[in-house]
Amino acid sequence: MNTSNEIYKKIVAAKLFIDENFHQPISLAAISKEACISQYHFHRLFSRTYRKTPHQYLTQKRIHLARLLLKENKLTVTEICNHIGFESISSFSSLFKKEIGVAPQSYREHKNVEKKLAAEQPKAFIPFCFIETYKLDQ
Amino acid sequence: MVTKLSHVSLFVLDQNKAYDFYVNKLGFRVHTDVTMDNGMRWLTLNPPEQPDLEIALLTVTSSVYPDADVRNALTLLLEKGVLGAGVMHTPDCRATYEELKAKGVVFKNEPKEQFYGIEAIITDGVGNWFSMTQPKEH
Repeated sequence: MNTSNEIYKKIVAAKLFIDENFHQPISLAAISKEACISQYHFHRLFSRTYRKTPHQYLTQKRIHLARLLLKENKLTVTEICNHIGFESISSFSSLFKKEIGVAPQSYREHKNVEKKLAAEQPKAFIPFCFIETYKLDQ
Repeated sequence: MVTKLSHVSLFVLDQNKAYDFYVNKLGFRVHTDVTMDNGMRWLTLNPPEQPDLEIALLTVTSSVYPDADVRNALTLLLEKGVLGAGVMHTPDCRATYEELKAKGVVFKNEPKEQFYGIEAIITDGVGNWFSMTQPKEH
């Protein structure tokens, strides 16, 4: 089935709405309203277009931002949870662990170790052929 | 036995502009961003769903290419935007085209049906073009 240009524009508008508002508690109803399509059709069209449901996409955006904020070390895990639109720390932690494989605090600790190593020995992270060819050590 | 590609280098005219295009517009993830003692910035990115491939964004510098003729030739190719760097996959070429066009990305070609799928030609604004393809479903 072809999707008309008008429908594409609506689906894209909805995706951009998620991109701009994913850190707030937004519902499927609010997103589909943005696209001016019924919830049922919006869910179907979005899933077909992006190969993931609106909820999966929203979760992916939130988890990605959580990873960036955990690496930054400015906010606590609870503050990050609130900042990215999760209602409880337990749902955030369990979802983060399910998606990334470790709990948020463990992820932060692991990234801190990596960051320290990268600052102390940046060349340890770069294949030697690049160091040699691009004169990274001079 | 060779199994997969882990690192590729991509020459760009400007690393900051490249960062804006690949990270802020396309949604690539920053893998490593460190500045070496000699001032050279080692910036590598992962495509959103390909965390084990690092794309190193490099500029044409005299430390890499001491020969001015080589440097000038490479810079000219980048300035002309004639270097085709590869193929990017998207789940929906037309939707991604609409979204990226709204974000100011310049395309050489609009989405078009090909025997292997739907393809548009995207430019990164820093010297390279890519095929952006939605592979045909079999």
